[in-house]
Amino acid sequence: MDMQGHWYPVSLAHSVEPGSAAGVRLDGRELVVWRDGEGGAHVWEDRCPHRGMRLSLGFVREGRLGCLYHGWEFGADGQCSHIPAHPDSQVPKAIRTRPYPKEVRFGMIWTALSAEPPPPLPEDAAEITPVASLYLDCAAAAALSALRASRLPPFRAGDHDAGTVFETVAPTLFRLSAGSESILVGLQAVAAERTALHIVIEGPGVVYAGQGQSHFLRWAQELRHRIETPSLNSANRPGEAP
Amino acid sequence: MPDLTLYNYDLDESCYKARLLLSFLGLDCKIVAVDVFPGREQTTPPFLALNPLGRLPILTDGDFVLTGTEAILAHLARAHDPSERWLPMEGEAFARVMSWLTFSARDLDVTITARQRSLFGPPGDETSLVAASRRLLRIMDEHLLARGYTGEEWFAAPHPTIADIALFPAFALSRDVGIDHDEYPALRRWSRRFRGLSGFRVMPGIPEYF
Ligand code: FES
Repeated sequence: MDMQGHWYPVSLAHSVEPGSAAGVRLDGRELVVWRDGEGGAHVWEDRCPHRGMRLSLGFVREGRLGCLYHGWEFGADGQCSHIPAHPDSQVPKAIRTRPYPKEVRFGMIWTALSAEPPPPLPEDAAEITPVASLYLDCAAAAALSALRASRLPPFRAGDHDAGTVFETVAPTLFRLSAGSESILVGLQAVAAERTALHIVIEGPGVVYAGQGQSHFLRWAQELRHRIETPSLNSANRPGEAP
Repeated sequence: MPDLTLYNYDLDESCYKARLLLSFLGLDCKIVAVDVFPGREQTTPPFLALNPLGRLPILTDGDFVLTGTEAILAHLARAHDPSERWLPMEGEAFARVMSWLTFSARDLDVTITARQRSLFGPPGDETSLVAASRRLLRIMDEHLLARGYTGEEWFAAPHPTIADIALFPAFALSRDVGIDHDEYPALRRWSRRFRGLSGFRVMPGIPEYF
């Protein structure tokens, strides 16, 4: 897959809480996703400009990401604003982290490996209910073809005979719908043979929180089981479209 | 005041579990340092007299000698936590705590072995131990994920219990065997909450901040 020029989801939005940081990988590159106190999301190279340690091990304090190792702190603009060993001196402007484009949409945090943001993602549905992030030992293309072949059982009774419709919303975002229900699946190419699927329900929490989420989690776990169990891939695929 | 003594090795994650609960409960406890590495002191006669299996932690409560990490956690909670929060006694919460203690004692052993090999052992092939550790962390992650759907944030009850203590080090120390936290979002959020509990203590290998 051509990695340039597309948005990629790297996390469900609620998985990175305000005031915390997490490491993620995209095409083998290590990135840090962090949210400031107000919940604003930031995506940087996961490397401290001081000695190159991983910033994702650090801590968020007063809207800044601090490095665990020697406490250098970086503001939302990526600029180093504080060096504990030299608290009184002006920090040179050149000391800054490498930022990546970022966007929060469809209940996921997105980034891109290009310097400039790719063309905008489509507008999202009004209400999203998160389900899960699945991490798979396969290439993005293999995960995508398993997703295409899967059948989505609707959560609410009455829709049970509805067929599954697969739709490409954006180059890395897909919709599976069954009757009046639909889920969105964002595709993250973690590394050559590692892929993550970020799954959300297009619908409000009042309908789907609890049992609805569990229902689609079970669907997702079955999908993963098929991908991880090669013998199931040749014959006899229960629950899949003919 | 209880008369407690813990035979302890700072780098041992099982001892760390006991230290965590002692600290959460605010209990005074005498700590006896045992030279596990390189001394293997726990396998010498004075310690074998306390635990013939030659393992730590060992707890004494007055004249009572107790071994086995999960039993020590359960005893401390039962005997010294009047609130019964750390070991809830009502139906399902109690059973769930037992289930995760069993998981910790029987299954998570693999994560301890993987870590000991990579820190102290001769270089070897840890691939299968690491793969097994990943599977276990995934089971933990998805349990918490599913509990999160109904607003639950801890493994066994609406509040932290000794189950959370028994499970915490396997995740917090997983980077020692090269397992990043990237792929366990529910465990990540849980571990942040766990670190925020009053009385939380670190051990070598677990950074103070997260
Ligand atoms: S490596 Fe980040 S502050 Fe030194």
